[in-house]
Formats: sequence, C-alpha cells, structure tokens
Amino acid sequence: MNKIIKKDQLAAVLDSIAAKYQLIAPVQDESTVLFKPGVAGKDVVLDAVNSTVSPKGAFFPQWETMYIYNTAEADFAIKYPEEGPDRVLFGIRPCDMMALLHIDPVFIGSKFGDYYYETKRNKTTIIGVSCAKVAHTCFCSTFGGSPTGNKGADIMFYDLGDKYAVEVITDKGKAVADLFSKFLVDDTGAPAEVEAKAKELASLLKPVDVTGVKEIMDGAFENPYWKELSRKCLNCGVCTFICPTCHCFDVVDEAYMCDGQRVRCWDTCMAKDFNLAAGGHNTRPTKLEKVRNRFMHKLKYHLDRYNLAGCVGCGRCSQKCPVNLDITQVISDVKAVK
Amino acid sequence: MSNQDIYVPQPATLLKKQPMTEYETFYEFKLDSGCELGHGPGQFLEISVPGIGEAPISISSSPTQAGIFQMVVRRVGNVTTALSKLGPGDKVGVRGPFGTKFPVDEVMKGKDILLVCGGIGLVPVRSAINYILDNRRDYGRLTILYGVKTPADRLFAEELAQWKATPEVTVLETVDRGDEAWDGHVGVITTLLPLVQINPAQTIAVICGPPVMYRFVLKELAKMAMEDESIFVSLERRMKCGVGKCGHCQMNDLYVCQKGPVFKYSEIKEVMEAI
Repeated sequence: MNKIIKKDQLAAVLDSIAAKYQLIAPVQDESTVLFKPGVAGKDVVLDAVNSTVSPKGAFFPQWETMYIYNTAEADFAIKYPEEGPDRVLFGIRPCDMMALLHIDPVFIGSKFGDYYYETKRNKTTIIGVSCAKVAHTCFCSTFGGSPTGNKGADIMFYDLGDKYAVEVITDKGKAVADLFSKFLVDDTGAPAEVEAKAKELASLLKPVDVTGVKEIMDGAFENPYWKELSRKCLNCGVCTFICPTCHCFDVVDEAYMCDGQRVRCWDTCMAKDFNLAAGGHNTRPTKLEKVRNRFMHKLKYHLDRYNLAGCVGCGRCSQKCPVNLDITQVISDVKAVK
Repeated sequence: MSNQDIYVPQPATLLKKQPMTEYETFYEFKLDSGCELGHGPGQFLEISVPGIGEAPISISSSPTQAGIFQMVVRRVGNVTTALSKLGPGDKVGVRGPFGTKFPVDEVMKGKDILLVCGGIGLVPVRSAINYILDNRRDYGRLTILYGVKTPADRLFAEELAQWKATPEVTVLETVDRGDEAWDGHVGVITTLLPLVQINPAQTIAVICGPPVMYRFVLKELAKMAMEDESIFVSLERRMKCGVGKCGHCQMNDLYVCQKGPVFKYSEIKEVMEAI
C-alpha cells in the first residue's frame, strides 16, 4: 500500500491496461454513470459516489445470448457465443465487490454451475476503487462493508484526494499491476492516510443496525406491517434492476425465420406475472406479497439459503425509488413490529 | 463447456400425439441421441419449441417404459400452443430431467399407496402409478382417487379402466359437475376420502392437483390420522431455468425446481407461500 499513482496519471494507467485487456469501467451516459466495456482511460468517470446501475452486469448482463440455433436443422445447429476476451473491471466500489461475493454461490459451485457467469468471473481481474465520499443513503457498514473495503478485489485503489494508494492483492492482480508498474511512485505515508480516510468515511455512514432483524422476520411473515408498507409501491421494479445482488432472470427465445437465439435477461419479482403458473395460480399476486418477498429475500431468505446477506447497503434502491420505499427504514420498522 | 449444458436442450422427436380433452394433448417423444431420459416419477423437463420458447412440463410416463417418454400438456401459453401445432416427426428441445421424485424407490416401498389427484395432477402421478404396477410386488395396496371438473375433463380414461380392473388396486373417481351420461360419484375430491379405508401407519399419500385442492385434502388426511411425514405433495411453479437460479419458483429459501416439485409435506408445512 506504500505505492501510489498520481490522479493525473490515471488515464495513462488505464490505457496501459486497455492495451492488453478489455477495460470495463464507469463512464457518463447522459444523466447516468454506467459500467461499459471497451472504454478509453480518459472517459472513465469516478466522481460519482457510485454508478447508477450496479456493475453486476459485467458478469450477469442485462441481456445475454446463451446460444444461437437454426430451427431448420435436425439438431438445431446450436452455437455458443464466443467466450470473450480477458477483462479488467476497474472502478467498482467496495459494496459492489461484496455484492459479487454474495451472489457468487447462486451461480458458482452448486450442482448446476452457471457457465456464463463463471466464465466471465474467471476471465475478469477486479480493480476496486475506494469511495471518495459517501451518500446519505450509504450504509455498507451494516453488512460488514466499508467505503475502503478491499474484499473481492484483485487490486485496490484507495482514493486519497490527488492520488491513489495501490494495493496488489492477488496473483491475478499482480499480472495486471505489472502493466502499469512504471506509474507507481513510493509513498511511505500512504498507509496512514488510507487509515485516516477510512475512519473519516466510516463516521459519515448512516448508522443502521440489522442485528436481530432476520430473527424477527422469521416470525413476521403475516404481520400487518407488510400490507401498510406495500401500499405505496408502484411495482416499477427499479429497485431490482439497479440492485447489485438481485439475480433473477427470464429465459426467452427470439427468432426470425429459421434463425433463433435463446436469451436471458434480468427479470423482476415486481412484475405481475413473475410467479404466475400455467394453471392461473399466482403465489404472489399483489403488491403485499411482492414487496414483502423483496425485503424478506434481502434480509432473510438469502441468509437462510447462503448464509450471506442479500443486501450490501449500497443505497441505490432507497435513492431511486419513486415513492421513497427505503430499506433502512424497513430495517428499523421491522425491529419495532410486534 | 460442461456447465453450458444445463441451459442447452437436446433434440427429441415427437412420435405420437393424441388430443385428450378440449385443452389437453398427449405427446410421446424419443430422444434423438437414443439414450433413455433417465427420469424418476414426479420429475419434470424444460421443453423447448425452437423459435418460440421453453416451458416446464412434468413427465407422465414411467421410467419402466423404455425408449420413449410421454407428456400431457394443457394448451395455455405461447410454448404449449406452439407444441400443440407440431406433428409426428417434428423436433423439440429437452432439458432435464429436473427436480425431486415421488419416493417410489424409498419410503413408498412396502407401503400401501394413496394417490389423490385433481385434474391434470394425474399426469405426473401416472408415472408413479405405472412404475408401481410394473414393480407390483414392492408395494402394498394401491388406491387412486381422481377428481375432475366434468366427465369431459377425464384424462387417461382407458388406463383408468385398466387400473380399475387390476387386483389390489382401487380407483375412485369423482366429478364436480356430472352430465347425463355420468353415473359415478359427484362432488369435490375430498368427498372420496371417507370412502377409502387406510391404515395410516402403513400408508404413503401423494397429492397432486390444482393449488386450491391441497389445503382441503391435507385437512381430511389429518382427520384420517395420516402423519405429515407420510404425505408427499407436488407443487406447480413457473420454473424458468430448472436449476435453482432464475428465482421464479423461489418460496422462502427453497427453490421448487431443485428441492421440489415433490416435497414431503412436513418439510414445507411451515413454509409460507408453499400451500
């Protein structure tokens, strides 16, 4: 951590990476900040607290071809998309790195491993960038995160105003760091500065205590609170699309003449037919069931299934919800339900 | 590339097709690979109609019937409507089999079997019935209760007659509304339960039917002193991936496509949104 990169060198550093890897990094797209592949160093934008949409799409794209086929062929002549290049995901914040670790077990390591997600994970080196500031909606410390956390990073850049302290964490990270080693400058004071910055940012986070919430939720399924809470929800689904841990998807076919492709795309549990079965039975027919399920999934079911929280405190859903449904409010409300 | 396989269907050919009711059609397929499907009674497949999409469908034939597999599909959405337009020789894609089985090789062995089926709930249970009949000595008395809305909705009429004629097999049928030709029992499925004599300690019950049926049948079985551990239910959900990821069949921390569709009732009794 006692090496630094001057901020005015960042574009050059990123271009040295982009010469060998596909660079995925946050860029400004009209009013939003989005992670995009194949970007140039000079276009990378890091002044937002965080990207508008989480970078989970680098591994679990919003829309992805699983395979293409030809309906005229007896075996459908199935062809897989190309594996894609080795990539470097730069600029991901600590909360979103934690989110990846929390959805990894959905896709990796079970009886049915997910080729598409796993391949992209394996082919990607992650360079995290610590937060320079926090938003009023940030509460990562609730789930054990920190604005300077390096969990899940191969290389970590710590934002120190006009410079980044650089920490190379894994061998995968070292291979990428070798590409920009000439930009690294010794700075023995950096570790102390990082520590001071960590303390400063942590003190600015919204204090939300989630202790005991899962245990209350275990017995609160039928509590009238959910009905009251769900009243104002519009079922628009924005919370699920921008969320770094939401991982539900739909599988659909698109075809023109004989050429077809099977596609998977993000789906949302807020959609009215999400749980609709063929017989007309819908296990979550109204707002009440949908809203309750979303918060139960974030704060209880994911924990029950993977022993990992389903929320990392990025605050996007609280920020973007058109009717101010705020998960931190839900957490404190739940503690009060009887 | 092995992991890609979980999402990639293998081709199968439609051999036979037979309308069963106004909406339900019987299909018989074989895998183009020549391999057996390798399923157990109660499991399901994801069936692809190329260019249209994919839907989860339960398997109706017993694994004891080699070389082919059968399904009965209600025409209700894009995929099932497209399927209904296919003819013999046409190709579909198949993923699976997925999910849990009726425990025909485990706790059902040596026991009396009580099967309670409503409507198309008979379709997956038929796989277990034929498996049991093909391994008859491994099981005790077999009782099949079958309820449908009207006589025109009865599936597998010929097989029902054959099962009725089989020794040590009881088949009781009911319809919600009869017609002029119907001289059998009229009433909901639970009205059949008082007509059967079971030894609860020696019986395994299976329930499969429309969602509304479960609660009432379970109540009756409890009155008959059936233990929750001896009751198995098969649940219908909108399973998109079949491999526990897409989230459509999630109920609490369970994914029905993996931990189900066949559950021991005691396992899901306390799970909200299950029954």
